[in-house]
Amino acid sequence: MSAVLGISAQSHDAAAALFVDGVLVAAMQEERCSRIKNDASLPIRAAAACLAWAKLEAGALDEVVFYENPYGKLERVLRAGLRELPASLRQLPRALAGQLASKVWVLDALAARLGVDRAKVTYREHHASHAASAFFLSPFERAAVLTVDAVGEEVTTALWLGEGSTLECLESIHFPHSLGLLYSALTAWLGFEVNEGEYKVMGLAAFGRPVFEAEVRKLISLESDGSFTLALEYFDSHTNTEVGFSKKLEALLGPRRPVERPWNLAESADDRRSADVAASLQLVLEQAMLGLARRAKAKTGADALCLAGGVALNAVANAALASSGLFSELFVQPAAGDAGAAIGAAALASVERGYRPRPMSTAALGPAVSGAVARSLAQALGLKVESVPDPTSSAAERIAKGDIVGWVNGRLELGPRALGQRSLLALPHPVEVKERINRVIKRREPFRPFAPSVLESQASRFFEPHAAHLARFMTTVAKVKDRARGSLEAVTHIDGTARLQTVLESSNFGHLINRVGDLTGLPVVLNTSLNGKGEPIVNTEADALAFFTTHPCDVMFIDDVMITR
Amino acid sequence: MISTTSLRQLLKHFASRNRLVLIPLVLVLLLAAVLLLLTEGLAYVAPFVYALF
Repeated sequence: MSAVLGISAQSHDAAAALFVDGVLVAAMQEERCSRIKNDASLPIRAAAACLAWAKLEAGALDEVVFYENPYGKLERVLRAGLRELPASLRQLPRALAGQLASKVWVLDALAARLGVDRAKVTYREHHASHAASAFFLSPFERAAVLTVDAVGEEVTTALWLGEGSTLECLESIHFPHSLGLLYSALTAWLGFEVNEGEYKVMGLAAFGRPVFEAEVRKLISLESDGSFTLALEYFDSHTNTEVGFSKKLEALLGPRRPVERPWNLAESADDRRSADVAASLQLVLEQAMLGLARRAKAKTGADALCLAGGVALNAVANAALASSGLFSELFVQPAAGDAGAAIGAAALASVERGYRPRPMSTAALGPAVSGAVARSLAQALGLKVESVPDPTSSAAERIAKGDIVGWVNGRLELGPRALGQRSLLALPHPVEVKERINRVIKRREPFRPFAPSVLESQASRFFEPHAAHLARFMTTVAKVKDRARGSLEAVTHIDGTARLQTVLESSNFGHLINRVGDLTGLPVVLNTSLNGKGEPIVNTEADALAFFTTHPCDVMFIDDVMITR
Repeated sequence: MISTTSLRQLLKHFASRNRLVLIPLVLVLLLAAVLLLLTEGLAYVAPFVYALF
């Protein structure tokens, strides 16, 4: 038997992933256990949950693999800090203290806290981990792989060729030239939190026009060979780690949008201008990604493309790649950011041990919930509890009636998207449903869209052609067909697209959607993550009930138990 | 606790030709880190740090 545990941590969104004999048996983000959004601390609880699911003790692990080279990262911090002296004089000692006080010794900390022999704790390079998480979990035997994020050890962007059990790095772009850092800097300029607000920028972009394309192109130079360089005078990651942009960027685009100022796109010219900047950034990002994809095609001749790294979570850019026709198939796994790199690190070790992973078929890789536990907790809270023999039908009936339904079923999903395991569900119309969930339940910015989940067999009725492997994990968008817009108005974004999820009828979630289709004639539901503002997606029965007691959702289904007030 | 394995891996990483120039700095930083760890904080090391920087 071969048991390999992958770990990502210390940057953002820590996670653990467990392979047994090459099979991905469990994976989980630490934030789901600690209840701290994007928790970067060592994922000891997530690792314990993965081991518990597989009924393994830590001592039975053959290898624990960290997702990046801690010594390489120290070297990058040193080199970048020295290169930028004296501007980095204040930041460098802090950065080095962080490295030397804990980060560089992460392999020792993992060994001690997991209770495994230090000799079993290894590392793989950051972008190799990303690439492996995309290629070895994809359905392809041969594919080009692009890994695009803020920065790993030194690499920010890399092109790989995956063939069978091999993964070869063909080209790379190094720090500080980074699409992730470009997007993050403008995310901060727009007043959003870095490593969290990038999705909001993507959603906001649809409300704007790319009239600032020329300004954004001053920040980045796109070369004909697909490479790019940032105009570093606009960035300031070495002295200002909070926002990452310089005063020169504010001179170019105007002052930073105040953090937390409420959005009013209908009446505020400033907010519409911000949307125009977001649209311009999104356009330039798509141009850069298309340049990289063209290079990938030219270098590999592959028919399929896999993407990973934080930038691969940009569903709109992924859709642009899919519609470019450069590759016949694309794959982006649902946790394409650093959380998923834990999978990649362990996948690399598994392959080296002779076990090539199978294609990823589900993101439901975390702990499961129990109706019995939910029942006793709900009763203790004085809530009304009812056992339901067929929870999918019961939930579908409530959705069809117009209720907003909490749906907690089976194993927790991995990644930033709720995929029908820990979801808030409703009918995809009328548009007031979106308003109610956005403003009253989730308390999000009003411009943010909701996603539709649709039976895979019925998706072509409502959506224009889209990349099938991406839609299963909600990592792309598709145009809503004109004739379907009226019935899908709560899940259709301002630009006529939707970040759809296609669901197999054979799953529990598929049964539910099918039943909604029987009742309403529309096998589509609005699906958003089950979490309050600023919280991670719920994990346990207790998390779900905590959400239910503090948010005005109408009914909660946990396993085979229906809970009302 | 820092293991000899990690120390060895760290020094091996910086021992390659294009990284040799960084070794003195890494050693000074390591010494500072060890002093900090041994004294569990800045208070006792402050005079040393002042002299170093």
